Amino acid sequence: MQNQRTDYFAIFGLPRKLWIEMGALEQKFLQLSWKLHPDNFVNASEHERELSLRRSSELNDAYRTLSDPVGRVEYLLGIEGARKEGEHRQQAPPELLEEVFELNESLDELRDAKTSGGGLVALKSRLESAEKSFQQKLGEVDAQLQAAACEWDDALQSDSATRKKIMAKLNDLLNRRSYIRNLVANVQKELL
Amino acid sequence: MGRIVGIDLGTTNSLVAYLDPQTGQPKCIPGPYGGTLCPSVVSLDPGGSIVVGEPARRRLLTQPERTIYSVKRLMGRGPADIQDELKLFPFRVDPSSKNVIRVKLGDKVFTPLEISAFILRELKNWAEAHFGETVDRAVVTVPAYFNDAQRQATKDAGKIAGLEVLRLVNEPTAAALAYGLHEKQRGKVAVYDLGGGTFDISILKLISTSDGDIYQVLSTNGDTHLGGDDIDNLLQAFAHELILQHDEIDFSPHGELAQELRRALIDVKHQLSELETATLRFASPNGKVFVHEFTRGALDALIRPVVDRTMGPVKQALADAQLKPTDLDEVVLVGGATRTPLIRRTVREFFGRQPHVELNPDEVVALGAAMQASILDQGVKTMLLLDVTPLSLGIETYGGAVAKIIPRNSTIPASAQELYTTGVDNQTGIDIHVLQGERELAKDCRSLARFTLKVPPAPAGLPRIEVKFLIDANGILQVGAKDLRTGDQHSIEVQPSYGINDSEIERMLEESIEYAEQDFAERQVIEARTESESILAATAKALANPQSAALSAEERAKIEASVAALRESVSGNDYKLIRKRIDELNHATEHLAELLMNSAVSTALEGRKLAEV
Repeated sequence: MQNQRTDYFAIFGLPRKLWIEMGALEQKFLQLSWKLHPDNFVNASEHERELSLRRSSELNDAYRTLSDPVGRVEYLLGIEGARKEGEHRQQAPPELLEEVFELNESLDELRDAKTSGGGLVALKSRLESAEKSFQQKLGEVDAQLQAAACEWDDALQSDSATRKKIMAKLNDLLNRRSYIRNLVANVQKELL
Repeated sequence: MGRIVGIDLGTTNSLVAYLDPQTGQPKCIPGPYGGTLCPSVVSLDPGGSIVVGEPARRRLLTQPERTIYSVKRLMGRGPADIQDELKLFPFRVDPSSKNVIRVKLGDKVFTPLEISAFILRELKNWAEAHFGETVDRAVVTVPAYFNDAQRQATKDAGKIAGLEVLRLVNEPTAAALAYGLHEKQRGKVAVYDLGGGTFDISILKLISTSDGDIYQVLSTNGDTHLGGDDIDNLLQAFAHELILQHDEIDFSPHGELAQELRRALIDVKHQLSELETATLRFASPNGKVFVHEFTRGALDALIRPVVDRTMGPVKQALADAQLKPTDLDEVVLVGGATRTPLIRRTVREFFGRQPHVELNPDEVVALGAAMQASILDQGVKTMLLLDVTPLSLGIETYGGAVAKIIPRNSTIPASAQELYTTGVDNQTGIDIHVLQGERELAKDCRSLARFTLKVPPAPAGLPRIEVKFLIDANGILQVGAKDLRTGDQHSIEVQPSYGINDSEIERMLEESIEYAEQDFAERQVIEARTESESILAATAKALANPQSAALSAEERAKIEASVAALRESVSGNDYKLIRKRIDELNHATEHLAELLMNSAVSTALEGRKLAEV
């Protein structure tokens, strides 16, 4: 079905930079879709139909990935060999340990309270403020991620040691981000 | 090659349409009774023949036990899925079949797929009578929220009806296509499509490019078991209760009387779209006549729950497209049920704008299908549909959780690769369970397929098998695997979880009337010749392209020899030989095909606009 995985950046003729002009990306996506979409090959040979299916699906996968600022970083680190596929759930970042511990305790209490029925209101407001605090941290991580992405773009011509250092930083930020995001999602689920 | 048509295979009514080459406009084809709607009702005549459409609908009253309607609700589902439906619909399901739903018409049993094929064949006949020519290919519409199994079942039904289904198009997308032509709208459009049995909401972006118009679906949502049928069910339950109170007569909820009551109530519902009051008159066998006056307000109160159920998907689709109701430039209403004043009002209030209803809501989907059919047929396109997959694709992981690998609303075709290895020494298989749905646990998602990856014996962790999951432009899953150590590729036979496998499809094909009429081998020859015609034409066109200069003399000679060999085989009657020659030519032109596609890509990247390659 496929020979080699194509570099998503290369599909759009882009360097491996994290800043992407979204309007231009969309325009290229539409132009390439027009050429590659299976609709063009309904009456073509089986090989051509397969080729079109493979390349248009790659194009769509690439566009989906690169359109998402976080997905883009994950993908870049993946092809640069700095991140394992499916690397998500990590240990709590050390500086968050205390807060996470408190949060989990409140969550447990909420679950208990839901079954026994007592003290829900106070617990909920405690969790809501915890959620707010983690949402804020998520915003901070996003900003740091953006700053590190700029660093990467500026270091495109630098030596491999520098680039590796930036990649490690990006990777840490991604893990931190996905950890906090999971926390927020869990809290939101319990608060529903 | 025969003609191509667009078909709306609906829960309540089905239609067939084509693009009139004279006017360039799509048109629905009328049937023998003059109308363009073919009721999706099938009846088995006591003499053994199949009756479809209007005459079958009349038999709902006289021979309900030999007649079936709303079969679309059963497509692509298993016996365990439909317990709720059975309470509401008079489906007479054969209890002896465990994995596949079979419904009884009289003393015979049929799969929903075969029933749908009867409807498709009827529409094919309408079109053939209209053109005086064979119709052998079609674009068929499906609810956007149909899952893989429901789509596959629809495609298979086409095959059994003697139609090559070139594309399944989502109903709201088809409607947008028909409206786009009609209105020349630009911007963001919401299509609210409440049909007989299914509800869809799609958010689209209409883009003008230098190549042509692109209809990009941003998000879609819906409920494949919510529609006008549900309104009728509520009305029927309400009236049944009233009659029981008023009169002593009791009647079985699925018998002839019930069908008569349902008919009368549907008339009342239709009248209430225009008038403020309408009267139900229902004569019972004991001579008493039950009379009840319905007001629109009473109808609204009764159907409010159905309308409310549509709003959840609407909100989700907007959230997925990251839009607010007021961001939409246009709202389009599709499906017969949207004639209901309460629905029009609810949609208008939610989006804060007057929805479009200019095109006949019963016909608009078929019209869009006809347009897409013509685009696919001509190969030269003036517009492009970019649709999405409505449900996330996932695989089961440890502990019964689901890892999402292709998120919902991804533009299709879409794919994802997963790497697999073994956990113990000399393990020979890895079980893979593919699911569709948004829930976190496998048991809450729709199971699409289970299969075992064969692995050559090796120490644990050494095998590296890459599995590629691909959702094609029809929204149907394909799976392929590749052994990364050996480079061996194999496609995987994925047995659909809904229970109908390829050999069963083959059997239905053989049993279907089309194949009984015409000798199987003869038909194979005709199909093989048709295919060679299009491949010979495509090859000639490709060789005329300047890019073909990059072929080596050897490659060119091989193509020419293959062309000559195929030409020669076509004059004979050996379809296996023709197929073999087609394969050889396909193989010989592989490099040429790649050259052309690469050149198309590089011109697109440079932003130049070239004539079609």
